[in-house]
Amino acid sequence: MSTKSISFWEARLRPVLAHPKVVVGGTLVLIFALVALLAPWLAPNDPNDQDLLATLLPPAWQDEGMAMYPLGTDGLGRCILSRLIHGSRVAFQVAVIAAAGTMVLGTILAILAGYIGGWFDRAVSSLVVLWMAFPPVVFSMMLMVGLGTGLFNVILAVVLVDWTRFFRVVRAEVLVARQRDYVYAAHLLGFSHLRIMVREVLPSVAPLIVTLFSLQMGVAIVVEAILSFVGLSVPSDVVAWGVMLADGRDQIYQAGWGLLAPVIGIVFAVLGFNLLSDGLRTTLDPRLKQRGAH
Amino acid sequence: MKNVFLLLGRKFVFVLLTAFLLSMVVFFMLRVIPADSLGMMLPPSATEADAQALRVALGMDGTVLHQYKVWLSGALRGDLGNSIFFHQPVTGLLGQALPPTLELACISLLLALLISIPGGVVLYLLDKKKIEFAADFVLVLLLSVPSFLWGIILIVVFGVLFPILPFMGRMEGTPVVDGGTGFLLVDLLVRGQWQAWWDAFSHLLLPALALALAFSPIVIRVLRSSLIETANSQYVNVARLRGVPEWRVLLVHMLKNAALPTLTLIGVQFGFLFGGTLLIEVIFSFPGIGNLMVQAIKNHDLPLIQGVALVFCMMVLCVNFCVDGLYSVLNPRLRSA
Repeated sequence: MSTKSISFWEARLRPVLAHPKVVVGGTLVLIFALVALLAPWLAPNDPNDQDLLATLLPPAWQDEGMAMYPLGTDGLGRCILSRLIHGSRVAFQVAVIAAAGTMVLGTILAILAGYIGGWFDRAVSSLVVLWMAFPPVVFSMMLMVGLGTGLFNVILAVVLVDWTRFFRVVRAEVLVARQRDYVYAAHLLGFSHLRIMVREVLPSVAPLIVTLFSLQMGVAIVVEAILSFVGLSVPSDVVAWGVMLADGRDQIYQAGWGLLAPVIGIVFAVLGFNLLSDGLRTTLDPRLKQRGAH
Repeated sequence: MKNVFLLLGRKFVFVLLTAFLLSMVVFFMLRVIPADSLGMMLPPSATEADAQALRVALGMDGTVLHQYKVWLSGALRGDLGNSIFFHQPVTGLLGQALPPTLELACISLLLALLISIPGGVVLYLLDKKKIEFAADFVLVLLLSVPSFLWGIILIVVFGVLFPILPFMGRMEGTPVVDGGTGFLLVDLLVRGQWQAWWDAFSHLLLPALALALAFSPIVIRVLRSSLIETANSQYVNVARLRGVPEWRVLLVHMLKNAALPTLTLIGVQFGFLFGGTLLIEVIFSFPGIGNLMVQAIKNHDLPLIQGVALVFCMMVLCVNFCVDGLYSVLNPRLRSA
């Protein structure tokens, strides 16, 4: 038992965890997750407390800055650092839940379509073609108009717009996996279709799904920021990065730095997920590994 | 050449079918929603009879299918209804707002190519060198910055900190060109108003650059990998053996073949760039269809939302069709097939 786990570690996990992109991306994602989870303890001030005597303060290291507000304050005298830290919570929730939903919906449809084929495959695939003609931003905004604002609906909109990414990539992979010898063997052994899909096909596309999941978390964060920037996401008393961008835009001439904080927050999180996804792709995909060995 | 036309004809039928289905998606998505747009158009003292009269006037009585028929037959005649908020025909509003958006999209595509072709070549040259690693990190970093964040960064840096470029609207004051195509750059150029042309162009630079910066890393990636693939093909080796200098092999022989996958990608991803104009227009107060869409959404202006969404989809379909056509004309293998 112990030798088996060691060999698994040696053969599969260690090269993955040793890849620099995985290391850096994973670290960024970990920091992001910790900040989101520990926000109430990390933030120096209440993110919604208004200090109207200290509006538009610059960061603390500048002359007019105050040590109480390390990154300064916004137009209503709210602490930018605290808002940045608390804003990560909305982003993190959307990232995890929306990406999970997208993954489940896209993967189930992809495996069914790729495995069953026939009319079902044609129907779902032509639906995807329709979906692709919508610019994603336009599509998600229309959905938000239809569904109404709120965090749950943002998540729903991301799932409904982005499942096609999972579907297209995973379906192509399922078509390959379906032709493998071990799937034929499973057929000959008389396994049920459900069992073959879950036990034989799903594991072979799992690395791809992990890669896409990480990528999708970054996409979800950007979509949430866009929707809350145009006021279609969370109520105004909830702190979100997109709301910070919208607020800061009104004072752009007096205080441009207030805008850079949420920008850095978003790029930090998305970069983490993208690096992780990239690193996982190169280390988990056996074909890419072979190409690297040449 | 006959085959190409056959292929294009088949694609065109497919595009028409997709457009029809899309119009249904756009219509029904907004029709099943709970939002009560009638309530916003009527005074609080309106009676049920008033509401019914308005419903009939808007073609919103009867079954959803009937409503769709009314809307579609109007849309085919170029009548998308009246905007609830602006009290103007939707088609007219779209006609004013579409040219600026197209102008913005074209300039940003141009800038994106200017950035990504040299970028892809440089990254190819760095392949298998130690520094490739750092370059790859930078590329992922660039991939992680969406266009609307680029817009904000560019405004803060080049508009506020070092105020060298304008970032509000289409030009200083209102454009004084009447008639014409609506494409300001073309109109002003034709009339020879150089100063105004430069004014309009400089207003386009920052928003177009923001879109281009977000778009080009995707193009760079594909260009690099297709360059790496062509590097091992026989015709390239033969060219090298003939003693063609390496830079010539790269720029003349390889780039031509690597351009095809890149072209396909640009077609597929154009929706991404085009959708990006939406927020960029809001951020830069640029009077295009993206700005129109966001205003319509804020006012719950259903006919206008439908109209803009439809135009967005049609533009994407149109570009996909053009790229497909260009691809089959440029790719000799498809020509004889």
